[in-house]
Amino acid sequence: MARDPGKKMRCRMIFVMLVMTVFCMGVLIYQLSVLQITDGQKYQQQAAAQQMRSVTINADRGTIYDRNGKPLATSATVWNVILVPAYIEDDEVEDIANGLAEILGVDKEEVVKRCANEKRYYELIKTKVEEETAQAVLALAERLNTRGITLEEDTKRYYPYGDLAAQVLGFTGSENKGAYGLEAYYEEVLAGTPGRKVSAQNAMGTDLDFQYKELYEAKKGNSLVLTIDETVQHYLEKHLETAVIEHNVKNGAAGIIMNANTGEVLAMATAPDFDPNNPLALGDPKKQAQLETMEKGSEEYNNFLRQAQYDQWRNKVISDPYEPGSVFKIVTAATALENGVVSMYDTFECTGSTVVSGNRFGCWKAAGHGVQTFTQAIENSCNPAFIAIGARIGGADFYEAFERYGLAEPTGIDLPGEADNAGLVQSYNNLTKEGGVELASTSFGQTFKVSALQLCSAVCASVNGGTLYQPYVVKQVLDPEGNVLSTTRPVAKRQVVSEETSETVQYLTEMVVKEGSGRNAAIPGYRIGGKTGTSEKIDLLIQTGRNENILSFAGIAPADDPQIVCLIMLDEPTLENAFGSTIAAPVVGAVLSEVLPYLGIDPEYTDEEMANMDITVGNYVGMVPHDAQSALTQKTLKARIVGDGGTVVAQVPSQGEDIPRGGTVVLYTDQTSQQDLVVVPGVVGLGGAEANRTIVNAGLNIRIKGVDSELPGAVAVRQSPAEGESVPPGTIITVDFLDLTTDG
Amino acid sequence: MFGRKIKNDGQPIKAERGTVDYSFLVLVLIILTIGLVMMFSASYAYAYYYFDNSFHFITRQLFFAVIGVAAMLVVSFADYHWLRKFIPVLLAATFVLLVVVLFMPEINYVHRWINLGFITFQPSEIAKFTIVLTYAHLISVNYSKMKTFKYGILPFGVVLGPIVMLLVLEPHLSATVLICAIGFIMMYVGGTSLKWFVPVGIVVLAFLAYAATNEEIIAYASTRLAYWRDPFLDPQGAGYQTIQSLYAISSGGLLGLGIGQSRQKYLYLPEPQNDFVFAVVCEELGFVGAVFIILLFALLIWRGFAIALKARDRFGSMLAMGLTIQVGLQVILNIAVVTKILPNTGISMPFFSYGGTALLMLLAQMGVILSVSRQSSLPKE
Repeated sequence: MARDPGKKMRCRMIFVMLVMTVFCMGVLIYQLSVLQITDGQKYQQQAAAQQMRSVTINADRGTIYDRNGKPLATSATVWNVILVPAYIEDDEVEDIANGLAEILGVDKEEVVKRCANEKRYYELIKTKVEEETAQAVLALAERLNTRGITLEEDTKRYYPYGDLAAQVLGFTGSENKGAYGLEAYYEEVLAGTPGRKVSAQNAMGTDLDFQYKELYEAKKGNSLVLTIDETVQHYLEKHLETAVIEHNVKNGAAGIIMNANTGEVLAMATAPDFDPNNPLALGDPKKQAQLETMEKGSEEYNNFLRQAQYDQWRNKVISDPYEPGSVFKIVTAATALENGVVSMYDTFECTGSTVVSGNRFGCWKAAGHGVQTFTQAIENSCNPAFIAIGARIGGADFYEAFERYGLAEPTGIDLPGEADNAGLVQSYNNLTKEGGVELASTSFGQTFKVSALQLCSAVCASVNGGTLYQPYVVKQVLDPEGNVLSTTRPVAKRQVVSEETSETVQYLTEMVVKEGSGRNAAIPGYRIGGKTGTSEKIDLLIQTGRNENILSFAGIAPADDPQIVCLIMLDEPTLENAFGSTIAAPVVGAVLSEVLPYLGIDPEYTDEEMANMDITVGNYVGMVPHDAQSALTQKTLKARIVGDGGTVVAQVPSQGEDIPRGGTVVLYTDQTSQQDLVVVPGVVGLGGAEANRTIVNAGLNIRIKGVDSELPGAVAVRQSPAEGESVPPGTIITVDFLDLTTDG
Repeated sequence: MFGRKIKNDGQPIKAERGTVDYSFLVLVLIILTIGLVMMFSASYAYAYYYFDNSFHFITRQLFFAVIGVAAMLVVSFADYHWLRKFIPVLLAATFVLLVVVLFMPEINYVHRWINLGFITFQPSEIAKFTIVLTYAHLISVNYSKMKTFKYGILPFGVVLGPIVMLLVLEPHLSATVLICAIGFIMMYVGGTSLKWFVPVGIVVLAFLAYAATNEEIIAYASTRLAYWRDPFLDPQGAGYQTIQSLYAISSGGLLGLGIGQSRQKYLYLPEPQNDFVFAVVCEELGFVGAVFIILLFALLIWRGFAIALKARDRFGSMLAMGLTIQVGLQVILNIAVVTKILPNTGISMPFFSYGGTALLMLLAQMGVILSVSRQSSLPKE
């Protein structure tokens, strides 16, 4: 019997082999092809999702520079402190918690609690700590010899000048994203591209550093160079903030300085402001005090805080349209001239009020201005005269002027939050309505609202030769290496008036400051143009019965060749005698007196101004009294010699001080007589001549600030040193004068 | 008695030996080499993390591979008929070990391993060989009477029954299935009438019917089945291993991530050196590499069957076929589990999965096949 496999056995064997190799393995290969080729995508992605850790590397935000390259907003590297509980042994917890609590000021118990999550690899303990703190944390980790504390790089925004231009710059919010102002508007330019570190991790969450590591470098954001000048901005803010405090301005103040010939914004300020380094803190101490009276965490507290925060972040210059009042008369006058409906020789009579279709409009001067020329009407800021001028223009043309001046649409400035006031100006139908009541009120700047920015642009166009420019704040965009990527060119929107009209308006505004209601803005050595404004908040009066005003002033300098226009507005100041002329004009005057020399516009004094100029006192100590007296006489100063010595041993005022022509320098020739003191007399409320006499008679010198003290309306409003103080003879008493007689 | 007879011929042993089937030998060595490389690649991250030594598994595996290859060669020179003498001893040892293992400490709720301190092994590995050897012997002896119940079924059932029962007690389902499959196929090829498989089928159905009345078993089976059909029902628990395996296989794509480049082996895939090593192979070598390896195994099976077909006698033929089927079925079942064709059981991948004693035994068994091949050129008896 054959022992080898029989035929049947062989057949069965071959059958089994074929089943195994062809059928079974065929099924396996089919399944593999499904998993690996046709349907693999889904599992591949899920696998990648669990294997890959993607860590975002924040890109440094670009810097915001002022026009001279001073950094207004910069980014710096900070560190986030991370715990890795998985690497922390139980006996380390106590030391780590104590150390971190000490360095970071975090709650120790909280750290202990976080350490307990032993499976976790990432517990964020504190964000954005500075280099120094980060070093301390590293030192702690080294000292404890633990892998359980690590640092993660992050960036933080710094605003080196604190609250400077806060509402313009805005600030960054969570994840370093621009939240307000330029930071928000130019987010895409500034943000840069975040980098990414993609690395493989094992199932325990540990990086597999040796494979699949891809680093996409973060790309730093581009930088902005602003048209804003830090120094100019500083001057504007300083005076605006002082004005808010001085006049207890309840609803804040706005100010803007524009290059009249380009639309560049040199300064833009809202007061009170805040510190973008800590935007949530209230910058207004009054509101902070009010907040502190409320129960922390209560609904009232939270609502008040939120509202106050929104208020302080608001850029009033662009976001809060207001009734411009008499400043708008520049536009009315320019339009009347351009349309040829008035000539310089036309006269207008003011009886103190005028009636339009049964509505009585009063002039600010109840007694009336009498018969005035066109120039005088604007100097006096006479409402009845301007109602007449408005009527001559006519509703249709007036409406057209509104549009031409860009007063019925946003200016298009490169800032977020610009108000669209299209619904806040009188419509064509209203202006052309029979009776002309709306036309009348519009002529002198009431019953419609424009933003300070719109008005400032319109004033610029009226005096710069007639071109309306689009205002802008970003001058250049720079790449991270500092190369210029783009430069903003001034955009001339249209010609709103002819050059001749513009020149006439220059003259008119200069006359306002020289002879009229703008006198408080005058600066010796400069030709300043301007227009005051006092507007009633009519909507507020109708809604609440409260009678509040907005005081404003637009200053133009130099008046004969306008370079800059400075407009400020104070919203709801408290003062019995509240006029734009007495409150807003001096602020603009003070701003311009600092800004103009800074901008390289040098004063040119007239002979009259030269005559009124102060004399700088020289050094007379060590001279014999008569030589000293002779030297003083040469300088048109008087000498008063006190004492029995033969040599001048002391002098008041001392060397380098300025006193008016004809002032007295007291020269002491011995020590004892220096102890004689005089009591400072009070001059507040007196006119220029009387104040001068009072002080000179007391043996003191006067230094006059503010308006020309010889003006009939000039009144001393402040003096230093104060009345009743004892000072040496010859001491300079500084007296501020204001012209309180006018307004508009 | 065959051995005696040959010796009685007085011919020198060397002259009796033909040459081994070199293609089978070469295939074994190629697959073993690839298996070792891939096991190392799959295991080093796991070894590094849990044993602080990337070479933890590969050094042991290499050691056993070297001994195993030596054993394979030595066995290939031996006369496989000689193995018949061991059948009673092996059967006894298998039963004893299968009983002993039930008293071994539980590992993952089952008793599968015997730990002798210096070495651990699964008695079920021995049981597989015992069954193949015993069945080969029974078939060769009972060849002409295989159609009868007495010779074609009874002796086979007497051997298989207790072994299966003991395996079920461990419990070790995959080994049970594998041993039954090997046994049935050998009986089928050996000539057992197909009609006898009908009552076997009835017994199986009766068993299933019993199981169907037991709610506990139903619940257990249905959850197992549910997790097999959709492992994402419990992605962190019961479905975890399957999901991670599918991730690995799919990540490989057509050409793979490159050798050593698996990501899933970084602690995602549990014990990547064991039953799921082929998932890492798929991930690193891609569809192309996986198919290549499957084809190598197909060739190995083909060569194994060729040896069986050409064997000098039925014993050798059945022995070679049984061992080939054992390797082939393990490969097929393992890949089927890894690719989610079958539910997760616990069948290792021959030549690839980590396990020193298993590898040693496997190579020795390959030596038996080679020994069979060596005599195929001799005159048939």
